[in-house]
Amino acid sequence: MLADQTIAKVLEHGLRQGADFAEVFIEDSVSRSLDLLDRKIDQINSGNSYGIGIRLLFGHESCYGYSSDPDPAGLLQLTENLARSKRGEERVTPKDLRRAPVNDQHRIRLSPEKVGKMDRVELLRRLDQLTRSHGEAIRQVSASIVEKKRSMLIANSEGLFREDSRQYMRVRLSAIADTGDGPQGSAESPGVLGGYEFLEEVDLEKLAREAAETALRMAGAGYIDGGVMPVVMGNGFGGVIFHEACGHPLETEAIRKNASPFTGKLGQSIASPVLTAVDDGTIANAWGSLNIDDEGNEAQRTVLIKDGVLQQYLSDRVGAAQVGVPQTGSSRRESYKYAPVSRMRNTYIDKGPDKIEDIIRSVDHGLYAKKLGGGSVDPGTGEFNFAVQEGYIIRKGKVAEPVRGATLIGKGYEVLPKISMIADDLELAAGICGASSGMVPTTVGQPTLKIDSILVGGR
Amino acid sequence: MQPEAAIEHVLGLARQSGLAEVDVLVERGESLGLKIRDAKVEKVDQSTSLGLGVRVLLDGRTGLAYTERLEASALRRVLDEALENAELQDQLEVNLPDPAEDVPAAEALQLYNPELEQLSFEELAEVGLEIEATAKQMDQRMVTLPYLGVSRESGEWILGTSKGTHYRQRANSATTYCGALLQEGESRKTGFWFWQMRDWNRAEAAAIGPKAVKEGTSLLGAKSIQNCKMPVILDEYCAPQLLGMFFRAFHADAAQKGTSRLAGRLGEKIAGENVTLYDDPHIPGACGSSHLDSEGVLTQKLSLVDQGVFENFLYHVESASKEQRTSTGHARRSYNSGIGTGSHNLVMEKGSYSLEELCQQPERALLVTSLEGAAGCNSISGDISIGVQGFLLEKGERVKPVDSITIAGNFFDLLGQIQGLGNCYQPYLSKVFAPPMLLDGLAISG
Repeated sequence: MLADQTIAKVLEHGLRQGADFAEVFIEDSVSRSLDLLDRKIDQINSGNSYGIGIRLLFGHESCYGYSSDPDPAGLLQLTENLARSKRGEERVTPKDLRRAPVNDQHRIRLSPEKVGKMDRVELLRRLDQLTRSHGEAIRQVSASIVEKKRSMLIANSEGLFREDSRQYMRVRLSAIADTGDGPQGSAESPGVLGGYEFLEEVDLEKLAREAAETALRMAGAGYIDGGVMPVVMGNGFGGVIFHEACGHPLETEAIRKNASPFTGKLGQSIASPVLTAVDDGTIANAWGSLNIDDEGNEAQRTVLIKDGVLQQYLSDRVGAAQVGVPQTGSSRRESYKYAPVSRMRNTYIDKGPDKIEDIIRSVDHGLYAKKLGGGSVDPGTGEFNFAVQEGYIIRKGKVAEPVRGATLIGKGYEVLPKISMIADDLELAAGICGASSGMVPTTVGQPTLKIDSILVGGR
Repeated sequence: MQPEAAIEHVLGLARQSGLAEVDVLVERGESLGLKIRDAKVEKVDQSTSLGLGVRVLLDGRTGLAYTERLEASALRRVLDEALENAELQDQLEVNLPDPAEDVPAAEALQLYNPELEQLSFEELAEVGLEIEATAKQMDQRMVTLPYLGVSRESGEWILGTSKGTHYRQRANSATTYCGALLQEGESRKTGFWFWQMRDWNRAEAAAIGPKAVKEGTSLLGAKSIQNCKMPVILDEYCAPQLLGMFFRAFHADAAQKGTSRLAGRLGEKIAGENVTLYDDPHIPGACGSSHLDSEGVLTQKLSLVDQGVFENFLYHVESASKEQRTSTGHARRSYNSGIGTGSHNLVMEKGSYSLEELCQQPERALLVTSLEGAAGCNSISGDISIGVQGFLLEKGERVKPVDSITIAGNFFDLLGQIQGLGNCYQPYLSKVFAPPMLLDGLAISG
């Protein structure tokens, strides 16, 4: 992707400016997307991204720059520009680059290159038909296939030199239903770190049924009366609440700035004793998995909370050094356009001893948030908000009528101790997470669980 | 290859291949950004980005492809890819527009200020350090300043088409932002303020620290309020956010595809008489200003809602051709995306009240100064269910800060329930201008 000699020169040049650490990140990515909308193949786009990111560290201070131009003189100039505010005497000499192999844990069984684009077009048309087969009330369907192969090379002044590639495949389906009370939408979007086999194995009928049924149920639903109440959160994408409200504040990027409610809480009880939470970058072919992170470290399984007690933060190089914790192989970036920081990979609340029926039965009046939509959090205050995509009233221990327009509002550190029951039906779901190092594929997950009280916004 | 040469190269290859309808979009950006922490420049970001996107129209079929490499071999490949993609696509009856006549010079829009390029690293750093120092002195309850940055950024886009359109527009700006985390007892709040303009004003750019802190301290101790209905006032920062979340209902392609509640309602009253909304692509210095849209169609001021009456949808070439009409010049595209619809500078006409006067209108009201996320807002149905923070008002006075509540209603109902409009817009670089709004009919949950 760039001559070894040029990489070594840039690293050497960085240290010569007085940096303690220099890193080169080179990326060459190929993306493809096919979109079906309104029964037509609406857009097909494909492209190549290429660029070189250079990072210099002066203690905990960092300089980051990038360019798509591989010209060696330009890269040396960029290195010099980056260091201009910090420039000092050379303090460290670079180690020789040692090419280290990457053990591929996420096998691709069918390379997407070997499958014609027409197969993808046919798959999208079939998804459209399957979704529309659920009735006339399905007014619109959109479906897309998004794929990307990121090839990258990471080298640093400590001698690290590693190359890896990540192949992502994802299918998105959204359905809009209208039964007379206005349109309501729903979306499904599973994805993997893997090859085309995913599209051959994914259950299209189930995907279409779930999208159509959610949209139809919500189209016929009335509005929820808002208020504070017990909420049973569905498994799978429900884990997005933990991701936003607890995952982000457990990243050293928040901890190092003292901008997290969990700063200084390692070893302390921060959640209900029934709760164990894990961020695991090693799950085979999972959407948020990695062989190595974007600083070149092996991906790991990191236990965040065990039986309610905070065990570990998620860290990157700078965060680990500043907070004084080990690196966890969670340094990530969207592309060469971003400096890496600590980010989540596959984050989930582990399964518990309860059964979903017992959890529902324990609620006299509350909300069953079967599927969540998106949401956001302020990591400093822990304040979060989430839209409920598919919700039902629970009345006297039974799931009753569907309700629309529900939003969950709270603070992560206040909600954790209120999780009182956790079921055994752990499921993971693919998502895209946005933060200071861009949009990265992450998995969220949880079993069905009960929050004793939380504010539900409604009408 | 330089961008202009790369565009000509692709168009030349297209000619050789007998392709009559091809357009090429190049975007180039440069930025220098500094983040400040503990009286030091903690992070420096410097970047040059470049991308080229090709669209091939082949018997009404569209093929797209892009690259970030401008070597001859990459340009050949990107054209081939676009052609291959076009062959698989369904016919959409899109034709490349003829070159617009009498296109005014891009300079008339005042989007580029050469003086900003002279802003040195040292001056940016000084301003950042001043923001930190003044913010830190403000209040004992400050925990940390997790977000504090100063940057300058510039970008340009160039469009070339096989029909002879050639348009180049560049823009730049300078930005400062500050987020302060404050704590009193159990209550933690983040106060955020920013400044972004095309004219460098050192004093204003550096004055945001205390504003961010004040924003945070004013909300400390905020509490929820009981479920109720009362008038809600959105300030001049929240009003454009809410309008932006639902604006896609005005896109013709959304109406054509059954995802707009405004479909079939042209000429009808969809809002109160106090609502006048238009798109103005020619506001000097504004973020969305442009003489051509990204398909090369001449832009024009377009009335959307006139005194409550719905007047126009926004069109690009494809959505216009479906209705045998011409594009209104609202195609939006970046080098690596497909064509979509978008407004340039969306303007809701101001009312006559200052924010204070608007707050005094109802006996009791909720002033919203922060909307939390957009996930509970459904742009298709118009449903609003969103967390907010702000202040409970009694006779116009802020009696207490409020959080942990949601407001709910429907955007399309709200358009008819605006009781009053303020007389100001948020002052920084923007492309959506909406004044403070006094709204009736929203449910508050707490």
